[in-house]
Amino acid sequence: MACLHDHSCEDHNCAADWSLYNHVDIPKVVALNESVPGSVKSVFKPWEQRLDTSGGFLESNEGDPELLVFIPFTSDVKIKSISIVGGADGTSPSRMRAFINREGIDFSDAQNMQPVQEWELAENLQGALEYQTRYSRFQGVANLTLHFSDNFGGDITKIYYIGLRGEATQNKRDVVATIVYEVMPNPSDHK
Amino acid sequence: MICIDNSEWMRNGDYAPSRFQAQADAVNLICGAKTQSNPENTVGVMTMAGKGVRVLVTPTSDLGKILACMHGLEVGAEANLAAAIQVAQLALKHRQNKRQQQRIIAFIGSPVKYDKKVLETIGKKLKKNNVALDIVDFGESDDEKPEKLEALIAAVNSSDSSHIVHVPPGDNALSDVLLSTPIFTGEEGGSGFAASAAAAAATGASGFEFGVDPNVDPELALALRLSMEEERARQEAIAKKAAEDTENKDHASSSNNDSVMAEAEPATNAADDDKKEQPKDDDDLLQQALAMSMEGGSSGSASVADAAMAEAGAVDPDLALALQMSVQDANMSSDSDMSKVFEDRSFVTSILNSLPGVDPNDPSVKDLLASLHGQGEVRSFLFLS
Repeated sequence: MACLHDHSCEDHNCAADWSLYNHVDIPKVVALNESVPGSVKSVFKPWEQRLDTSGGFLESNEGDPELLVFIPFTSDVKIKSISIVGGADGTSPSRMRAFINREGIDFSDAQNMQPVQEWELAENLQGALEYQTRYSRFQGVANLTLHFSDNFGGDITKIYYIGLRGEATQNKRDVVATIVYEVMPNPSDHK
Repeated sequence: MICIDNSEWMRNGDYAPSRFQAQADAVNLICGAKTQSNPENTVGVMTMAGKGVRVLVTPTSDLGKILACMHGLEVGAEANLAAAIQVAQLALKHRQNKRQQQRIIAFIGSPVKYDKKVLETIGKKLKKNNVALDIVDFGESDDEKPEKLEALIAAVNSSDSSHIVHVPPGDNALSDVLLSTPIFTGEEGGSGFAASAAAAAATGASGFEFGVDPNVDPELALALRLSMEEERARQEAIAKKAAEDTENKDHASSSNNDSVMAEAEPATNAADDDKKEQPKDDDDLLQQALAMSMEGGSSGSASVADAAMAEAGAVDPDLALALQMSVQDANMSSDSDMSKVFEDRSFVTSILNSLPGVDPNDPSVKDLLASLHGQGEVRSFLFLS
């Protein structure tokens, strides 16, 4: 297992760095164009299990390599880098575009909008590569949308693992939960 | 998002009073059901023909607005299915609450002029954007329309979220047929609105077993279903036992049992209405034992009743009551004196029903029963309690 750090991994616990998956709001993760609904939830796991496919993996529909993954977080996070483990035989994604803090993006939106950052990916079957973000743009991320627009020639796109590295703040995005509009104060509403 | 077909084909009267009216009723019913089942649901309506593909009301949860826009709709021109689905997709994309699931319900009454391939591409695009599609296929049905629409649904469907319903013309109103389909019941498994509408609409033979709606009265429906299953089990047991017995009395009793099944069924049903007040199984087994000991009848009828009760009587006290009555009816054919005992027995059983705290598992009670009955059968059904 090779990391990009210049030390041997046996000493350092790489898992601790890639721990942002703890802050992903997994029940609310949504993917578009996945062949098995709900399979996207299985790609967020600890670093050690990144090659473990027993929990399932994310696969796109036949003949269509595009994938869109919407990742909400339980609190605002700062993302330093992203790692993607793809499938073999050309099913790894080759291009990734990221959008921040926008809900309800679908494919036509994703193709037309300017992403916050875009990367050319390489085939990364061991999870050894990580892609740095422009950190200043990835502060205070409440949700992240990743659009995988292309792959290396396969019929479908497979993703086994999405790793996020960064820091979690304790801030929560302002969500207006319940408001009671009153013309006159009514104590019974405030119990 | 509901797509209405208001093309010229809708003037036809093969659905009473006209296809368009039947469709409008069905749409109203669906809107009501959806808005009631979840307060965050929104419904929009658009036309596929008439003045063109246009959205009459954008997705809203206000039922009055939706019903109002259905007024004054004109019938004419031809339906444009592909454009309509695209417009519906766009309307859904710009919904206010992005958390809502997207669904299109299309009423397709006119012939479909598109290729299967084109429809499949449309379906794939819907599936890619996670939009579910329900199709109500009614009205015109040329040779290929059902297959084309099935292919469309197959292309859109992901994990059974899309459905298709074919409604042939006939006596049943379009809305009644739709009430029992997954388009209405959806994933929640039956909203209260749809269920109560079904109960009101159906007169005698509704879609539900026994004519009782499980949503309206779950206990009664459950009781009826249980008694039906036990009745079936009892029938098999008695038929088996009747086949084994060689006494000529059993020829009479088996034929009587067959006729008595029909009588016992309504008796069981009537008894089921009082299910809440029935005693525990223990009390009823005791009452069976005591009643049988009092009957002191022939061993043939006792063994018939015993086999039946041993197999089914442990579960349902009402069934036990019916069993007694049917056994008594069998005895009546052979022994006219039993009629008095029948009345006495029902009197006794009613007394025993009201006795609290009688526990047949008590050793002293067991000994009493063994001495009264003097046969092995008592032990056999006491084990079951």
